[in-house]
Amino acid sequence: MSARWLLLWIGIAALGLISRAEAEELVTALSAEMVSIQSNFTGTEIVIFGQISRDTNTISRRGKYELAIIVEGPTQDITTRRKGRFLGVWVNRDYERFLNVPSFYAISTTTSIGELANRDLLDEYQIGLNHLNLAVTGKSDVPLSERDDFRQAFLRLREEAGLYSERQEAIEFLTDTMFRTNVPLPANIPVGAYKIKSLLFQDGALLSQTEGSLSVAKTGFEQITFEMSRDYSLLYGLIAVILAIFTGWIAGVIFKKD
Amino acid sequence: MQLYLPIAEIPVNIFLILGMGGAVGFLSGLFGIGGGFLLTPLLIFSGIPPAVSVATVTTQVVASSASAVVTYIRRKAIDMKLASYLLAGGVTGSLLGVILFDLLQSLGQLDVVISLSYVTFLSTVGTLMLVESIKAIRRRHSGAAVSVKRPGQHNWIHGLPFKVRFRRSKLYVSAIPVLGLGASIGFLGTVLGIGGGFMMVPALIYLLRVPTGIVIGTSLFQIMFTMAAATIFHAASTQTVDIVLALTLMIGGVIGAQLGARMGQKLRGDQLRLLLGLLVLAVGLRFAVDLLLTPEDFYSIAITKGAGA
Repeated sequence: MSARWLLLWIGIAALGLISRAEAEELVTALSAEMVSIQSNFTGTEIVIFGQISRDTNTISRRGKYELAIIVEGPTQDITTRRKGRFLGVWVNRDYERFLNVPSFYAISTTTSIGELANRDLLDEYQIGLNHLNLAVTGKSDVPLSERDDFRQAFLRLREEAGLYSERQEAIEFLTDTMFRTNVPLPANIPVGAYKIKSLLFQDGALLSQTEGSLSVAKTGFEQITFEMSRDYSLLYGLIAVILAIFTGWIAGVIFKKD
Repeated sequence: MQLYLPIAEIPVNIFLILGMGGAVGFLSGLFGIGGGFLLTPLLIFSGIPPAVSVATVTTQVVASSASAVVTYIRRKAIDMKLASYLLAGGVTGSLLGVILFDLLQSLGQLDVVISLSYVTFLSTVGTLMLVESIKAIRRRHSGAAVSVKRPGQHNWIHGLPFKVRFRRSKLYVSAIPVLGLGASIGFLGTVLGIGGGFMMVPALIYLLRVPTGIVIGTSLFQIMFTMAAATIFHAASTQTVDIVLALTLMIGGVIGAQLGARMGQKLRGDQLRLLLGLLVLAVGLRFAVDLLLTPEDFYSIAITKGAGA
């Protein structure tokens, strides 16, 4: 075989490698683009559907497809405080402030998070609660050895509140390439713009990713009330007072004894 | 049935809230008190954030005082001049209260200050009530004549300058203690979510010597307006007044209060005060236990910026 042939084969193989990186395409859709919070809101559930499309030239691979779907809420700064004894009474002493952390984080995966990819990749894409980037303020008084306690407590409290969750093996494959998952949204869910990130892995490599959006908003009376309490707070206070005096007065008149 | 609270941003059981409003309303009708010092702790213990509980109860106190004030206006049992002096103090106190409240909230020490203050006030007031009512019951049993004389004609308060004449109360007294009393109770009421009637009434009787027939109406009238000011200050500054929660509490409260008032007429005054004293002490102890026992969870989180802050 001549050198020219060899070069050609290398070229084809290289092309194959390049096309391999973009061979899988991930498409997802949501059961609802918007979650509206009204007076009877007690939490809901969104369904995420998706399809992995593979171009026909791609050679079918050995490994199984693995997926991670992350629903992430708008960011917040959160202070985590720890109680200590002060003059015999338990009061908040040390604290750590976490900056720009998601207000809501729910991850669903096809397998355990550790098996999706290596640690660096999980950290880079913030896949799983242990891989979230929880940045703290520089002026923290907490000794380095105790920082992790605050981090763990923060994650635990958010999990207990239902705002952070990891649901492993919660993505169901309907066919070889179609999948779906249900993500419960609790009643205390923060409002704002949510991101829905879907990541496709195979043999520890990230093949493809896509991002969608979901809006969680108060609607109707809840929205008007909330916005008024923020934007026209004085008027809101006045209305509360008038309502109170009116209710009291009506009651006083209805139930008058003499 | 669940009801979503737009400011607290949590759903609550509407019947639980109506029930709490009703139960506290019943007690307030029974004992002739505002009930804020019972309602605020109940809301806190049931999981409503302390800041929302305190601010919302100030609104509820407006409604419960308003329903009673109607009767006192009709009977003309209010000293408007005295009430307006108390009110001037009250609004100032309330403004200071909301500034402190905001500061404590940003320092993360609001909850502990609320708890400590409740322990201090409730155990003091509860013990005083208990002692007083036991004495009264003993006196009644030993058959001694219960004198209802107003104690001593003059005390140190009557030596203070800036005297003002309050004709309706037949008083000629310095403006300083009147304004001071209004300010202290307005301050405490705003920080703790209480009307403060249970402190105002004894203070007016024993410190200022206001005739008993005018005390309750004047106190209620003043509390209604001070708490109205507190509601507006809270709404503007801490933004924690939940109007839906307030309305639910009011509805439960006014109905409960009417039932309580009817029941109260069948019980003796000293027995009522004994029961109230025990109740006040119990709430105080509950807060003390929370402060002294090793907490189940040492950690807590608070949103400082972004959605829900």
